[in-house]
Amino acid sequence: MSGLIRFLRTQNPTLTQTDWQIWYPKADDDHVPVGKYIIPFQYWLTHRDNHLLLERALAGEIGVWFAATDDVIDHKQLIHAGQKLWPMVAVHFPIFRDGRGYSTAALLRERLAWTGPVWAIGDVLIDQLDQLARVGFDHFVLRADQDHELGLCKFEQFSVRMQDSWRYPRTLNPIHQAEVLTA
Amino acid sequence: MYRYDEIDQSLVQERSAQFAEQVVRRLKHQISEDEFKPLRLQNGLYLQRHAYMLRVAIPYGMLSSAQLRTLAKIAKYYDRGYGHFTTRQNIQFNWIDLEEAPLILEELAAVQMHAIQTSGNCIRNITSDPFAGVAADEYIDPRPICELLRQWSTLHPEFAFLPRKFKIAVNSAAEDRTVLLCHDVGIELKRGDQDVLLANIYAGGGMGRTPMLAELIKTDMPWQDLPAYLTALLRVYNRHGRRDNIYKARIKILVKALGVDDFAKQVEEEWTHTKITYAPWTDVDWQRVAQHFTKPPYKKLPALFQEQFIQALQPNERVGFMRWFERNVREHQVAGYSSVVLSLKPHRTQAPGDATAEQMNAIAELADRYSFGELRVTHEQNLVLADVESTQLVALWQEAKRLGLALSNIGLLTDIIACPGGDFCSLANAKSIPIAKAIQERFDHLDYLHDVGDVSINISGCINSCGHHHVGNIGILGVDKDGEEWFQVTLGGAQGHEAAIGKVIGRAFLADEIPAVIDRLIKTYVNERYDGERFIQTVWRLGLEPFKQAAYADDAKEKEGVV
Repeated sequence: MSGLIRFLRTQNPTLTQTDWQIWYPKADDDHVPVGKYIIPFQYWLTHRDNHLLLERALAGEIGVWFAATDDVIDHKQLIHAGQKLWPMVAVHFPIFRDGRGYSTAALLRERLAWTGPVWAIGDVLIDQLDQLARVGFDHFVLRADQDHELGLCKFEQFSVRMQDSWRYPRTLNPIHQAEVLTA
Repeated sequence: MYRYDEIDQSLVQERSAQFAEQVVRRLKHQISEDEFKPLRLQNGLYLQRHAYMLRVAIPYGMLSSAQLRTLAKIAKYYDRGYGHFTTRQNIQFNWIDLEEAPLILEELAAVQMHAIQTSGNCIRNITSDPFAGVAADEYIDPRPICELLRQWSTLHPEFAFLPRKFKIAVNSAAEDRTVLLCHDVGIELKRGDQDVLLANIYAGGGMGRTPMLAELIKTDMPWQDLPAYLTALLRVYNRHGRRDNIYKARIKILVKALGVDDFAKQVEEEWTHTKITYAPWTDVDWQRVAQHFTKPPYKKLPALFQEQFIQALQPNERVGFMRWFERNVREHQVAGYSSVVLSLKPHRTQAPGDATAEQMNAIAELADRYSFGELRVTHEQNLVLADVESTQLVALWQEAKRLGLALSNIGLLTDIIACPGGDFCSLANAKSIPIAKAIQERFDHLDYLHDVGDVSINISGCINSCGHHHVGNIGILGVDKDGEEWFQVTLGGAQGHEAAIGKVIGRAFLADEIPAVIDRLIKTYVNERYDGERFIQTVWRLGLEPFKQAAYADDAKEKEGVV
């Protein structure tokens, strides 16, 4: 796997390495390769009763990734259960301009109370990092050709924000701030 | 008018710095054009037929004289000396160098302006009533809500890559001057019991190749809930809107596919959750913004009567002034004041909505002298001085005349709404500007125009309908037939509360046929109208048939000749 940016809510962004790999199975792949893998949620859905898979999950070797078309609301229970099983979930961007993943991350954080890591994977470009970080992503697997060092600076371009989001509350002016604090 | 606080100011400056860095990387080929495209679009920069075009936001149409002077400067130094006011209360510059775009954004930021989200698949410029705050028929001044929405939608992280563009309009007067029902979301503000501010929400309207009117999905929502509710609505659209086909990606298609009830239900369900997560707007928010939209220091003035104007005029000016007064001057909330529309539709000489740098500077001067240094942009592509002392109307008219801005054609046949068309736009199938000019040339006679009365002609160079041809009483749409420019005519469209989508009347025409076709449509109306009946009312009463027959009269003659 190429470089990974980790940007937890309470820390600064850092460039790091990981031994996790993302599994994009081909049609004839019938089992998850050996190692730590983030596998398609759809695969989990159909194979979750498989003993071997469950054992590996219990051993902390299996995370899942959601495709842009996966509806996380439809699988609330499974994702709640996954909270204890998967070290992370990931959301896949088939192309950087497919915005569904942003809402998926927001839903995972807000409605499904997912507190663990949420990785952005797929066509992840440095110019979208700030937006991704705000809706709930805290790990970013950049596309291989992206300038990872420059990517690290992409979270600091704005000192103010106009909306509440998972990472930051809306920036308030001092008068407003005082009013909210005394409310 | 709204003044940025340090938060707004930081944001536009940081945004301009961000784009400058991206442009450098683009010029070094470190970003591909495909990947740069949404970045530049969300900074207002299109790649057009001949050059880059920069679209600058004029949120809800409000502009200060200082801002207009900056727009004039941009036109002069970075463009070819003019700008084009659009149907979405924006201004476009057609001849921009990519390298200079960040400099322009910096200049804009210095006068509290930006080009953020004027394009791209995101929430676009919030539009509203150009007479907000002064209209005699207003329920409540919508501008604080518009400004709060501008802030909320600016660089919204979750909705920067929607299936398609997303347009919001806000209206709060008896008359709808916003084309509310042709928006992805239309917000209608009103006063409830004890004067509480409530909103009705319409969704799923739009023009383009599948024109639809929005439907009511929520009534009487407290204004404080708008951010949570709109988040829910946009989330449903972002997740379930079609992305497989660009022509079916607007929210109107989703609303239609699900049915309005199911769509409204889904939004409502999502709202039960977003309402917990997203803080509502507060009275403090309201105060922070609304303090900028208080009334200017109006004088106590008596209302003026027609005779008093006439006395102030030379006899040879009287007819001209009274025509202008009738068409370009609007009733004001405050006695002794009027709102004035400056026509950007002089006959023949320039494209509808265009203003030169010199005109912009002169208009800024007029705003300073006559209207508290403020003006507004209308979706009909004209400008408004909203707070003019009625005693000053004659003087203003005389100056506006010298500047070529006083044609008394507001709402008349030559007040044509047109997109830039094939002269500039790379999407267009046909040129709009020469058609507009040809129509203005044919109907240059003001006596006749005034006699014909209210008629809207809207011209779009392609099916994207930037010229809003669907809601024109007469709509003209450029279509491509075997590489040739043709024009399809629609009839019966209207904006406002009686909004309607026009219907195509038959085969398309060549450009040089259009003025004669319009002439025959108008003659049919003049012959058939009841006393006091507007063009659109006659069309609706009689149906399309008599107009169709008139429009294709030459076809019938030709057929007879063949027989």
